[in-house]
Amino acid sequence: MKILAVTSCPTGIAHTYMAAEALQIAAKELGVDIKVETRGSVGAENEITNEDIKGAHAVILAVDTKVDEERFSGLPIVKASVKDAIKDAKGLIQRAMAMEKKEYVDKVFEAKKESKEKITGAYKHLMTGVSYMIPFVVAGGILIALSFMFGIKAFEEKGTLAAALMDIGGGGAFSLMVPILAGFIAFSIADRPGLVPGMVGGVLAGKLGAGFLGGIIAGFAAGYVVAWLKKVIKLPKTMEGLMPVLILPLLSTLIVGLGMIYIIGGPVAAINNAMANWLKNMSGGSAITLGIILGLMMAFDMGGPVNKAAYTFAVSTLAAGQPSMIMAAVMAAGMTPPLGVALATLIAKDKFTEEEREAGKAAFFLGISFITEGAIPFAAADPFRIIPSIMVGSAVTAALSMAFKCTLAVPHGGIFVLPIPNAVGGLFLYTIAIIIGTLVTGFMISALKPKR
Amino acid sequence: MDIKMMFSKERVSFDLKARTKEEAIDELIEMLYKDGKLKDKESFKRAVLKREEEFSTGIGMGIAIPHGKDSSVVEPCITFGVSKNGIDFDSMDGKPAHIFFLISVPEDAADTHLHILSFISRKLMHEDVRQKLFNAKDFEDVINAFN
Repeated sequence: MKILAVTSCPTGIAHTYMAAEALQIAAKELGVDIKVETRGSVGAENEITNEDIKGAHAVILAVDTKVDEERFSGLPIVKASVKDAIKDAKGLIQRAMAMEKKEYVDKVFEAKKESKEKITGAYKHLMTGVSYMIPFVVAGGILIALSFMFGIKAFEEKGTLAAALMDIGGGGAFSLMVPILAGFIAFSIADRPGLVPGMVGGVLAGKLGAGFLGGIIAGFAAGYVVAWLKKVIKLPKTMEGLMPVLILPLLSTLIVGLGMIYIIGGPVAAINNAMANWLKNMSGGSAITLGIILGLMMAFDMGGPVNKAAYTFAVSTLAAGQPSMIMAAVMAAGMTPPLGVALATLIAKDKFTEEEREAGKAAFFLGISFITEGAIPFAAADPFRIIPSIMVGSAVTAALSMAFKCTLAVPHGGIFVLPIPNAVGGLFLYTIAIIIGTLVTGFMISALKPKR
Repeated sequence: MDIKMMFSKERVSFDLKARTKEEAIDELIEMLYKDGKLKDKESFKRAVLKREEEFSTGIGMGIAIPHGKDSSVVEPCITFGVSKNGIDFDSMDGKPAHIFFLISVPEDAADTHLHILSFISRKLMHEDVRQKLFNAKDFEDVINAFN
């Protein structure tokens, strides 16, 4: 009979290891095979593998910190504190031994689940990054929206509350969004050493204008670079202490940073220029075609380089407060992505996690405020279904806005500008265009997303 | 594994005067401070007491391992003390603690040090190691208890 155990305490200096040793001593006395994973300040050691879980009878969690229980799903779990393990390790092991092993049918089901999890390993890393990013998007987005409530340009006045809110939301929370996404993707792949190159790569993605898609690339690159470095660098025992504090962070950050600047940075800049020129040439052609293209661009990377190109182009058409059809189409197309995902979380509840459904409510608020970033957590978690859906919705909205000849005289503001006199030309039809785009995106996501 | 690097003759007392938990912690911190391994007594004491609040580090069997992670610590080390009369340390088994290991760790400790601390923590769970510690008469005995 084999028992697994995880020990972990808040400081991770002493109790984690005492509990582990106590369990090992008790197991020896009882003649039970045990494997104890310690999660202390050095990180996870003697890690439990899927192989271990398959062959185990039960698992003891002697922890005073939060540990991932999901990976043991299927195994009976004995929950305890490190204190319990130090005081009465024997009792814990006996309790674990007395646990009922799951039925055969369950095991088959678990095996299936496991193979599915293996395929979607990258998906797991992505989701880790996304779940850490969501609160940043929500907090930052709502603070920016609050700033707009004082007036669309209120934040430009230095020293006002509106300026402070914009600083906190935009300069603070939003600027951390991509670094956090990239950092925790890398963290999920390579544990603690992944965080540094991931976050630095994320910051560079932002600086280079590569947006959240650049951040995802940075995160995965950082994670796998660290994992690779860990494998290839062999140090004498006495120097091992240098690995986590000096060697891994330094080398991985250097590699990821250079990669971002020289491999990702160049093409991104070239694409940005090419798009700007191309849009300039397009503006002579059919208004509806231009609307479709701008809509697709606005939704493609939500605040990334493609989106920025479309937005900057639109702002440039706002010559001295002159209302612009292009500006109207672009703002509408930037509102529907978060609105569409928010709608999808309502009509297809069972296809989203609890966390995502909550984020959906925030996304609605961000959508009406023309903060396209509100859809990023959803797009990052499931890019191949979400991004096409929001692109189609935004294209429809922008094309309709052009067809209806709606105009906009301000560069930002979402629904807060709608009541301002003369800000929007063709208000009713403009609203219709936004609603239709939202419906398109919402229903398309609902149809494409698989059941969980 | 070089356990010796965590201990020092300057940080060992076989006759703690303290009568209460807090006095014991103070007395151990004083030794640590005098040995130059601590920049700020108060700051480190706060870290230790904060840890005690979570649950007592009196692990029972007569042993207590108060510890703290704080930027005031110069380098990871252990201060060792014995109380002949025993001190009530809110231990898990309710019995007084006689043997004290005050573990001090800076915020950015290297893994080598943390590995040694985890090794020592593990050793304390062994009956024979504890027996040797209870019988220790001098610094060498303490070190040898772990070998």
